[in-house]
Amino acid sequence: MPDESYRRFLDPTVVSKLATMELRARLVVEGFVTGLHKSPYKGFSVEFAEHRQYMPGDPLKHIDGKVYGKTDRFYVKEYEEETNLRGYVLLDASASMAYSSEGISKLEYSRYLAAALVYLMLKQQDSVGLLVFDQEIREFLPPRAHPRQLHVLLSALAAAAPSSSTDIGLVIHDLARRMRKRGLVILISDLLDDPADILPGLKHFRHMRHEVVVFHVLDPRETEFDFDVDATFRDMETGELMTTEPFSIRGDYRNAVRDWMTMLRRECAESRIDYVPVLTSTPYDRALFSYLEKRKRLG
Amino acid sequence: MNFTFLNAAFLFGALAALLQLIIHLFSRRRVETVDFSSLRFLRELERRKIRRVRIRQILLLVVRSLIILFVALALARPTLSGALAGGRSHARTSVAIVLDESGSMARDGARGTLLDEAIAVAARVVDLLDEGDQAFLVTCAAPPRSVLAGGTFSRGTLVESLDELEPTAAATEYADAVRLGLELLDGARNLNRELYLVGDMQRSGWTGPVLTAGGSGSRGSDGAGGSDGERASSGKRAADGGPSAYVFPLEGPVGNLFISDVATERRYGGTAGRIAVTAQVKNGSRRRAKVPVRLFVDGVQVGRSGVDLSPGEHGTAQFSVALDESAWHSGWAELPDDALEIDNRRYFVVPPRLTTEVLIVQADGELDRGDAYYTELALDPSGNAERFSPSVVPLSDLIAQDQGRFPAVVLADVGRLDAGASAWLARHVETGGGLVIILGDRTDVRAWNEGEVPGSSVLVLREPFEREAGVRLAPASRGHPLTDGLVVGERLIDDIAVTRGFAADLEGGEEILEFPGIGPALTVARGPGGEHAGEVAVLLTAIDPHWNDLPRSGFLVPLLHRIVREVSGGAARRGDVLVGEGLEVILADGAAGRIEVTLPDGTTATPEHRAGSRAVVALAAATLPGIHTFSMNGTVVALGVVNVDPVESDLSPADPQEIGRHLEGIAHRFIDPSGDIGAGILEARHGRELWRLFVYGALALLAFEMYLARQRTG
Repeated sequence: MPDESYRRFLDPTVVSKLATMELRARLVVEGFVTGLHKSPYKGFSVEFAEHRQYMPGDPLKHIDGKVYGKTDRFYVKEYEEETNLRGYVLLDASASMAYSSEGISKLEYSRYLAAALVYLMLKQQDSVGLLVFDQEIREFLPPRAHPRQLHVLLSALAAAAPSSSTDIGLVIHDLARRMRKRGLVILISDLLDDPADILPGLKHFRHMRHEVVVFHVLDPRETEFDFDVDATFRDMETGELMTTEPFSIRGDYRNAVRDWMTMLRRECAESRIDYVPVLTSTPYDRALFSYLEKRKRLG
Repeated sequence: MNFTFLNAAFLFGALAALLQLIIHLFSRRRVETVDFSSLRFLRELERRKIRRVRIRQILLLVVRSLIILFVALALARPTLSGALAGGRSHARTSVAIVLDESGSMARDGARGTLLDEAIAVAARVVDLLDEGDQAFLVTCAAPPRSVLAGGTFSRGTLVESLDELEPTAAATEYADAVRLGLELLDGARNLNRELYLVGDMQRSGWTGPVLTAGGSGSRGSDGAGGSDGERASSGKRAADGGPSAYVFPLEGPVGNLFISDVATERRYGGTAGRIAVTAQVKNGSRRRAKVPVRLFVDGVQVGRSGVDLSPGEHGTAQFSVALDESAWHSGWAELPDDALEIDNRRYFVVPPRLTTEVLIVQADGELDRGDAYYTELALDPSGNAERFSPSVVPLSDLIAQDQGRFPAVVLADVGRLDAGASAWLARHVETGGGLVIILGDRTDVRAWNEGEVPGSSVLVLREPFEREAGVRLAPASRGHPLTDGLVVGERLIDDIAVTRGFAADLEGGEEILEFPGIGPALTVARGPGGEHAGEVAVLLTAIDPHWNDLPRSGFLVPLLHRIVREVSGGAARRGDVLVGEGLEVILADGAAGRIEVTLPDGTTATPEHRAGSRAVVALAAATLPGIHTFSMNGTVVALGVVNVDPVESDLSPADPQEIGRHLEGIAHRFIDPSGDIGAGILEARHGRELWRLFVYGALALLAFEMYLARQRTG
């Protein structure tokens, strides 16, 4: 029977109360791993491949004692080469990411999600880089697998603050031009930009043979629009004001958002991009599962 | 077309619609501002949805405001009258039909008498009443009265009441009648209120504006149901609230000759036993008229005289008849028939020569020929007690006198009164006894002003005055019965020089004679004790040769006779009693017993006895002109005469402008009674009440509002 208690570590509101970014990332990942009983992914990065006969010059530590005891011959274990994946976590830090209807903001959620992914990848000896952007690249840390990279990345994530408007397309194209070696691109954003700009950028990555995972982070109220009273809405990026009756347009709004997300999902699927919609009320494991699914395919 | 509201006060409710608008605008300004990640989708919706939402919001606001407005309008009960109203539907209405049934309405009109025409007009008004309409019927003849107490909702009852109306001989009181009608409408059940005034609109019937407080100018009594003041205020309320008045002026012949007065006078000396009768005739027509005047006494024609009168001119017909002076006689002067019959005959009575006992009180120890001496001499010059039987007593003997014996008491310069005398006199006046006070040397000004003498409060004495050259006694008012025949022009028939007298200020009563430039010389006022109290006359100079010429003048005898007759008979004998007024007679010897009155039409009534030193019987209101015979045990004890008010004989109608001035403050319009009355009334009166339309409208709007509101959640 699965132990569901781990989920308490994955609850965004619980995680947001923890002290440090590293601790949060560790708790998220370990909570996630703890929940994976008999996980098929356990120890995959040091995967055993086959036995071969001992040859002079081979390190003695690789001789398999159990096989020698059974066969009275020397065999050494052979392991698959480590993936040495180059991961890029792209974090949208535009002003719209600061939105929060209750609990944590999208940016905060995204920072924890990014931290968990970074922690998980570095723990698997992958090199991980980070790009924080809004309408331009505000922070870029190239991928490293060095143990200190975790601290560097988490510090950068902690310093990420919402700023101005978004221009995802420009940033993605810019990054795509910089990335020479094949890697994994993880975009964490609310994608509140023109899809006509976003999708070509993501396809640009695919064109460069990068694997792409898009975590589409939204606040539940952005999808439900469940405001009760008349209000004047102020765009957090542009400052534009608009007064309306939310209950009068709620249905149309929901339909518009659903259509938008459907379009994004379809476009991403056509380009073999993993599109992962995530609500800030959703535990992190959904996002982590999506990441691991991608890693499995990369296998 | 006329659009009116029966409950205009509810129109203020329409402001609630504005209130909603204000709340809406206020709440719009206070709407919360919310930070939102992106307005991208809202912008898209704005193009196709939000604008529609705003339009719906405005539509909802308009619809809700209209609902409130419609409800307020429905409560205000709008009524549309005129051609556009259509149909016979109208607001439930309370109407007051004020119908003139005065003497002048007995003349012939185009279709029967004017009263017949008035009833026909009123019946047409009744025809147009619907179920639920309330009606009052008020008559205009003095005193105006409400025929149907509390009004009626039955047209049949109303028609019966109209059919029972007959012309009276009373004068018209339009203002009082309209006031009474307004007062009745003030308490009516229905909010739509209308007054219909039907009559010949005699100019003389309008004695003042309807809405003048206190009913000043009113000739008659206040009639049934409240004081004039109350009516005036009710009229003002009516004007504010908007009862409408519709006036139907009826036209009839206006040429009329009438007898305005008949005066009788005993002749003395060689013609003792003869009565001079003078009939005043007025030509109210527009043509010269030569008419015979016939005189009847005790039912028999005893004389005939002709008068030749220019238009508007007064003339007199004089007769002299011999009568038995020991008996009552009655008679009338009569003109030939003309436009109005009731004023062609004017009645009079001649009472028997009676002796009145008079108590003359003089100061204790008075020996000189003072006021008491001259008073006694003047009242009974021959010593035969023909008219007055005076008894002279000292002041100290006053309280021993029989109080019911003397109709009049004369205080002849008695000076200060002790408590007993003062109380005796107060009781005498209170019970209707007359009092004549002659001031003189013994008068104490301070005691007088402190109210020692009953009736002294209306006269504040200042100080005695002396004029060496004397001041001429003069009449203070013309035409007063006390001085009738004693005045020529502006002067008395004899020059009375007064060298001493009292200056005083009159604070009540009437000033009969005056000391020119000084103050009143002779006053008459009702004494303390209510409306049945006796009268008190005060002569402010002594009957003394050292004070004036009165003892030496022949003027003293008629003056004292009239003063004593006035206070001993009072108002009951003053002038003619007119139809509608109360009739009082004084029994000759104070006889007590059951008195019955035979009215001119032969019916009988029981008069009211009034307690007091005088035996007075009275009818509250006389309704018929003619001779009223008061009898006790079959014996005639008195005759009373009631005549038509000569004012009613002036048949000239008031023009619409004059009527408009009298009805100022009341919305009114004239309707030609010779035209199509029904159409005129419908045009003016009937309207369609629109409250149902507004209620249906409000319900329809409510349904629409609910539909719109449900659309919000779509």
